[in-house]
Parts: sequence; structure tokens; C-alpha cells
Amino acid sequence: MEERMRKYKRRKSILRRLSESPKAQKVETVMLPVAFGILVVALWQGKILHRLFHTDTFVLPVPTKIFGIMGGITDKVIGNTIDTLLVAGIGLLLGSIIGYLVAVIASFLPNMGKGGLTIVGAFASIPIAALAPVMNNWTKDVSTEASFRSMISKILVVLLIAAANMGLNAYRGLTELKPYALDLMATYAASKRRIFVKLQLPNSLPYVFIALKVSVPASIMTAIVSEYFAEYITGIGRQIRENIVLAQYSIAWVYITVACMIGIVSYALLMVIQSLVLKRYR
Amino acid sequence: MKKRNVRRWLALFGAAVMAVSLLGGCGSSSSTDDKGNKSSQEQGALSDKEIIEKAAKDGKIGNWGLGNEYEVLALLGKYGLPTDYLSQDFTMDGFDDNSVELASAMTYNELGLVKNDYDGGYGYGDSVKYIDMNDEGVAMMEDNIFCTKKFAKENPQTVAAFLYASLKGWEDAVKDPKAAADIVFKAGSSVSPDHQKYMADEVAKLVTTDVNGKQVSDIGNMDDDAMQQTLDIAKKYVTLDDKSAQKKLQSTGLDDIRDKQYLEAAKASDGSFKPEKKSVSIQLKWLPQAQFMGYYVAAAKGYYDEVGLKVKIVPGGGDIAETTAVNNGTVDFGVTWETNLASADAGGMDLLEVAQIYQRSGLVLVYKPENFEK
Amino acid sequence: MKSTLQWLARQTWFQVLFWTLVLIGAWEAGATLVEMTKRMPANIMPHLYQILQAAFSGQEVSGGMTATQVVLKASAATLGRAFLGFLLGALAGYMLAFLMKLSGVIEKMIFPYLMLIQLIPVLGLAPIILAITGNINSSRLVIAAILSFYPVATNTLAGFKSVEKDKYDLMATYAAKKRNMFLKVLIPQSIPYFFTGLKVAAPMAVTASILVDTLQGDGGLGCILSQALKHAMSIYVFWLIVFFSAFVGIFSSILIHWVELLVTPGVVVNLLRKLSIGKEAGAYGRKNEKVQKKKKYPSSVV
Repeated sequence: MEERMRKYKRRKSILRRLSESPKAQKVETVMLPVAFGILVVALWQGKILHRLFHTDTFVLPVPTKIFGIMGGITDKVIGNTIDTLLVAGIGLLLGSIIGYLVAVIASFLPNMGKGGLTIVGAFASIPIAALAPVMNNWTKDVSTEASFRSMISKILVVLLIAAANMGLNAYRGLTELKPYALDLMATYAASKRRIFVKLQLPNSLPYVFIALKVSVPASIMTAIVSEYFAEYITGIGRQIRENIVLAQYSIAWVYITVACMIGIVSYALLMVIQSLVLKRYR
Repeated sequence: MKKRNVRRWLALFGAAVMAVSLLGGCGSSSSTDDKGNKSSQEQGALSDKEIIEKAAKDGKIGNWGLGNEYEVLALLGKYGLPTDYLSQDFTMDGFDDNSVELASAMTYNELGLVKNDYDGGYGYGDSVKYIDMNDEGVAMMEDNIFCTKKFAKENPQTVAAFLYASLKGWEDAVKDPKAAADIVFKAGSSVSPDHQKYMADEVAKLVTTDVNGKQVSDIGNMDDDAMQQTLDIAKKYVTLDDKSAQKKLQSTGLDDIRDKQYLEAAKASDGSFKPEKKSVSIQLKWLPQAQFMGYYVAAAKGYYDEVGLKVKIVPGGGDIAETTAVNNGTVDFGVTWETNLASADAGGMDLLEVAQIYQRSGLVLVYKPENFEK
Repeated sequence: MKSTLQWLARQTWFQVLFWTLVLIGAWEAGATLVEMTKRMPANIMPHLYQILQAAFSGQEVSGGMTATQVVLKASAATLGRAFLGFLLGALAGYMLAFLMKLSGVIEKMIFPYLMLIQLIPVLGLAPIILAITGNINSSRLVIAAILSFYPVATNTLAGFKSVEKDKYDLMATYAAKKRNMFLKVLIPQSIPYFFTGLKVAAPMAVTASILVDTLQGDGGLGCILSQALKHAMSIYVFWLIVFFSAFVGIFSSILIHWVELLVTPGVVVNLLRKLSIGKEAGAYGRKNEKVQKKKKYPSSVV
């Protein structure tokens, strides 16, 4: 144990020397994950990953094959991606707005609000697999167009998850103020509205982003999963399922890849927006 | 949106052409009327063809997709209609509230739920009518027994022994479906007892009647015509996005996906085998229910033991299990549909059908006559 | 009277009860509406009492079992796998966070990919993992593990990182060994964060397990759910499962909270006893307010 520790210390010191210059550190932050990614892809392409996992190129096609197929069916992929993005995006947007409004109302009703939020939060814990078919049943009368009502039902599932997430976090942001901040506002004889705009709202912003960091990936995931149960056959998730039923794993992998890319891009986008917004308020 | 409109106009146009040709006097498509389901002779009712055309025009034909849709597509293609269908969820609620007027149903499952009024049923009784895929000439072969080519080659005696015992189980089951339903029920069923009994009766019909409505005596027979028809429809309507797989599917012949030697060996045998592998498993396509009663009967009556096999029945219940599970060796045998097997092989799997249990398609399109009056 | 009401309104249990009653009222109103307008109301929104009736009725719905027995048997299978997967995932998540803390290189390499894991659709993984493990049960277990792995790893890492520089300095003044640093500061500090991760992970593991059921069958909750949804047995089985899984999802994070409460004081006592440096360092940085109040450090732990 001791020896290992010493060894470990030595390694660290070399690294520390390396990371002393901020330039090298920056390069490291970008390069290391990229290098790791390249390594995995190389192992994958070289079919070494397959040997490691005792699997074949049928279930786990090599990357060149996946991208080759993707190039051939671009239109179809884009169409399905848009359908999934619409569901995830609209659900996330509406859900977050509703969640925030609920939190605002709850923060004005200190007595009953918190209990209500506990209930709202509970919705986030309901398994999507149980929620999706129920929403399907409830949206049967929305429209005679199956594609439309099926989309509404998917949006509702995403909305519920996003709202629960946002409600809980925004409430914390609106109520967990810095000590004495409220007293200070009171000495200024500030109106409730002023307190809200000048104190609570800015204070809740970082919490909004905490919520979004969870709900952006969650809403994509929820959209994909609710597609499995949806009435109308469309979207990335449904394509994965349909192709797996037909044992077309390489096509399924195309859509899995797209799903991952959506996740990464949307998360990166969120980070950019966060740095812009939070910078403005500071 | 524009595309949809164009399609709609095309459908309308197609329907108009059909109507004109009908006036010309070719309304003879529905002649076989043995079950009283065809109501074309009744006054004021539309013929099957007219019903399909009307439903297609209104966009009210439903199917579940997920590989179940090819017969419906072939039917629409047969009448020169655009191959659009409404995706039906897994309940018959859409049929119930008329959002789907011509709904897909399996005779042994959904049709029973629509007709019967036991728990879970919709209780329409005989007021609903249906269009049978077998009569329309677009039947595709369903539940079979398959394994990998490699397994079959290495364990010919095991395959033959398994078929021998399974077919014996199926023979007993179709002779007495009620008793078979009881056996399945005891083995841990996933459906209500009433529905189980209904299902057993209907499955027995599928196992003992061929696509032309003739009685079949040799259970498990792989009828070349029916299988070729299935494969032809699959080639026409299955679209695999992977181009190489699509090409492979197009060049698939019957001999690529089935082999009769094991079935022949089983039929010729006196019941004594020397199985290479003694402990085998079979992956069902779905949960334990009368759809698979033959295997449960064979297990319960000890037929597998008699041929020297220890058989484990693995219930399915998912969309993924059977082809993948057999291909990667998790289980030895599986139950699937011919189309699934053909497209799995085209995708790179190595599967082989060794017996065809269901001799005709179980798919029907069910409708309420009041929605299709003149 | 008014003051009693006000007192009640401040009680969390009363608030929860109040809102639950509001929800029940809304449900019943919806159910009444559906009952009046639909031919098969039970498929869309049955009355709650009907669901309860189905739960307690002795009628056999399938395989010689009543509705409740069916649900319980299925949930034993599903939850068993979810729990095992959850444990595995939590353990792996903690280990990885530990590794990432040990080595900045590993952290920089892997952390971005942690994000990815959460974004790969579970179903996409299911058949691949089935193919790799060659066993339906273990593939479900692995999927539940993967899903619970991510929140645990990220939260625990955040916990390790939340240790302020003061504490490193303090430990340095005691000339503490690296091992002690981990045992006495880093690990205790990470525990509350670890539990936060667990609370997120628990419902996820349940969801994952149910979802994989619907895809791979073998008698789990999800499997029976889709079977009942298809009317192969009483539709009330479907509703029972919906409510039961909602309850389990919610209850799972409450349960973790209880475990946390149970474990936390124990950890404190153990640490106080074990710490060679003294009681101060042990309590220092703990989230436990009571301990902090006794000490004179107005700790700045968030």
C-alpha cells in the first residue's frame, strides 16, 4: 500500500510539472477526452472491442459501416431526428416554463407551496414506461390525426418530467436567498414585486441551469422512450426499436449514434447559453 | 402536408378508377363464403374490395407496424391502393372509438377480445365482420421452429428429436385444445383463463388448416407455395435501410432459410434418437399463452423426456428476443415468423427454419359493418 | 380555529396530504367525465375505487393468481434486478469517482463520456448487452447498473471536489498521510453527495428495469404491463402496475433518504471515535448541522 502510494505520488508530480503551465492544461482538457475517444473508436474499428466483449460485427457494427449507412439514408434520418427534437424541445420548453411558474406560485404561498412541490417532484420519479401508455390513452380525443395526437402525448410526458425538475430547483433558487438579503430589501421598503425582480429572479438563475442540466438529457431520453409506446411510428427511438425487431442492428446503430450526437450538441449548447446568461448577471 | 394532400388525391383518383371498373361488372372477388363473414351478398353491404378501398381512402386502415404490416401492405398493393396505414397501438381502443375502421387483429388474440365480453374484452359479439388475409391471397407464414444453421448441422439428431416430440405435443394440443389451454394455464400463463381457451381453439385452426382452407394432417409441414408467397411479399414490401442487407434479402431463396431434412427425419423416426445435445431450450416469441400450447403439452406429457431431451421453455415477451437470442446461442431453438427470419438472415444472422407450425395467416382486418354501408 | 389551520398549513405532512387529495379529486372528476362519454371507460381512466377493488378482489386473472398476486410476483422479478443493478451501478460509480479524484488524467479523459452514457437510449443498449452477456437477466441488471452509474459518479465527484482548500491545508499541518486524507476528509465529505446521486439513480434503475421488461419479457412488471395493456388480462392489472410503479419510483428515493439518515450519524460516531487527529476534524465539513452547531466552526459547507 505504502509503496503504491509512493509510486502514485511520483507519477502525480510529473503530471503536476506538466500541468503547471495553463496552456498545457488547456490543451490537456481538450486532448485527453479526444484521445480516449479515438482509442475506443480505434479498438472498435479494429474489432478488438468485439473480442473483448465476445460479440460480433453483426450486433456491434464497426463505425465505418455505421457512418456509411448513415450517408445513404440521410433524408430518413433527418426526418426522424426532427420529430424527436420537436417532442423533446417543445416538451422541455413548456415543461420548464410551467415548472418555473409553479415554483413562483409556490414561493408566494409559503404555507402550502412546499407540500405541493413535493407532489410535483414525485412526478419525476414515476417510471416513463408507465407514464407513456397512460398519456396515449388520455390524448385519444385531441385530434383525429394520429400523428398529431401521438406527438401531443409524447410532449406531455416530456413536459411532466421537465416541469417536475424545474419546479423543484427553481423553488430552491427563489427561496434559498443569501442571509440578510431579505432584511436588506425590507430596509429599502422594497415592494414584493421589486424583491422578486431584483433578488429572487437573479438568485434563481443558476438553479434554473442546474435544472436544465438534468432535464435537457432527460427530455431527450424521455422523448425517445415515449416513442417506443407511441401510436404513430416516427422518431429516433421508434426507428431503433423497429430495426431491432427486424434484426437490422446496423441501422439501429445509426439512430443510436444520432441520439448520442443530439445529446452532446444540446448539452454543449446549454453550456454556452449558461455562460452567456450568467455572465450578464454578474 | 403537401405530400399528404397529393397522396389523398391519388387515393381518391384510385378509388374513382376502381368504382368505374366495378360498374363495369367485376365484383366477383368475394366468393368463398363458408363462415358467414363475407356479407357481400347481403343487401346494402359493401364487398370486401369496396370496404378496403373506402377505408384506404379515408385513411382508416390500422396496423401495429413492427414487422406486422407486410400483409396489409400487400393487400393494399393488390388493389392498387397507396400503401399507407394508420399505426394502431396495441389495444383495440382505436377500433372501439372508430378512429381505426379497418383494424388489424390476430384471430387468436385481438379478434377474440373484440368479440368476447370476458374480462378485457370489448363484447361486440358477432356484430363485427372481418377480411381474412388467407382469402385475399396475401397470407404470410407465422409461428415456426428455427435454430441456427450451425446448430442444425452439428446436432441433427437433437433437432429431429426436438421436432418429433414438439409435433407430438402439437398433435395432442389441436385434438383437445381445452386440455391444452389448461396445461398452458398451469405452466404460468399471462392471459385470463377465458381468453386462453378461446386462443387455444383458434390456434388449433391455424395449425390444422392451410391458406386455402384445406385440412392439414401433417403438422409442421413446410408448404413450398405458402412459404414462397411469404418470401415474395417480404421481398416486395420489407425495406431494409442497409443496402447490402436489402440486396441479400432480394436474392434470398427458400432453400436459404429452411431445410426439410430434419422434419423428414422426425416424421420417419420411430421415436428413438441419439441426441448430440441433450439439454436444449426454446425461446418463445411471446409470454406463455396458448399460442405455444404444443410445446407446453409436449413438456407436460413427457414427450421430450421420451426422446431423451431436457427442454427448457423460455418465454419471450419482447420484440428483440427470439432471433437475437437464438443467433448468439443464448437458446437453441426459437419460434418466430418467416419474414423476421428472412430479414434477420439478410442482416447477417445464420438462422434456419426447421418446421412451420402455423399453416395459415392469423391476421384479419376487422370492421364494424355499420361503418361500411352503402 | 384559525391558528390551528395555520399550524396545519405549516406541516409538511398536511401539505402533502392536501395536495394528494386535490390530485385524487381531479382524477375522480376526470374519471366521472370519461365514464359518461366513453364506451369502455376502464381503458382510459377508471375510478380509483375500481382500481382498489381490482387490487383486493380474489378473482383469478392469470395463471391462477389474482391481480395483486400477478403484480407482486412480476415486481419481485423486476425490482430484484433493479436493486441489484442499482447496487452494482452505485458501487462502480463511486469507484470511478474515486479514481477520477485520484487522477486528473482519468477525470479529464472520462468525464465527458459520463455524459454520453446517460444519453445512449436504454433500448439501444438492451439487445447489444443481451448479445454480450448472453443472458436476459444479466443484461437487464447491467442496464440498470449503467443508468444508475452516471448520477452516482458525477455527484460523488462533485462531493470530492467540494472539499475546501482550508481542509487540505489543515490536514497538511497535521502532516496527514494521503490515506488519512481520503479516509478522514474526502470520503466523509463525499457521502452526502453520494446519497444525492443515489436518490437520482434509484428511480432511474426502476424505470430502466421496467422498460427492459417491456422489450425482453420474461415476466417482469413491464412485461405484464404491456400484456395487460393489450387486454390479455384484466385492464385493471395495467392500472395497478401504473400506480404501483409510480409508488415504487417515488418511494425508492424516499427510502434512500431514510438510509442516508440511518447511516449518517453512524458515520459521524465512527469517525469521531477513529480519528486520531481529534473530534474536530471528524465533524469538520460534515453536513450534519447538529454536529456543526456544537463545534465552534461556523463551517462554510454548502
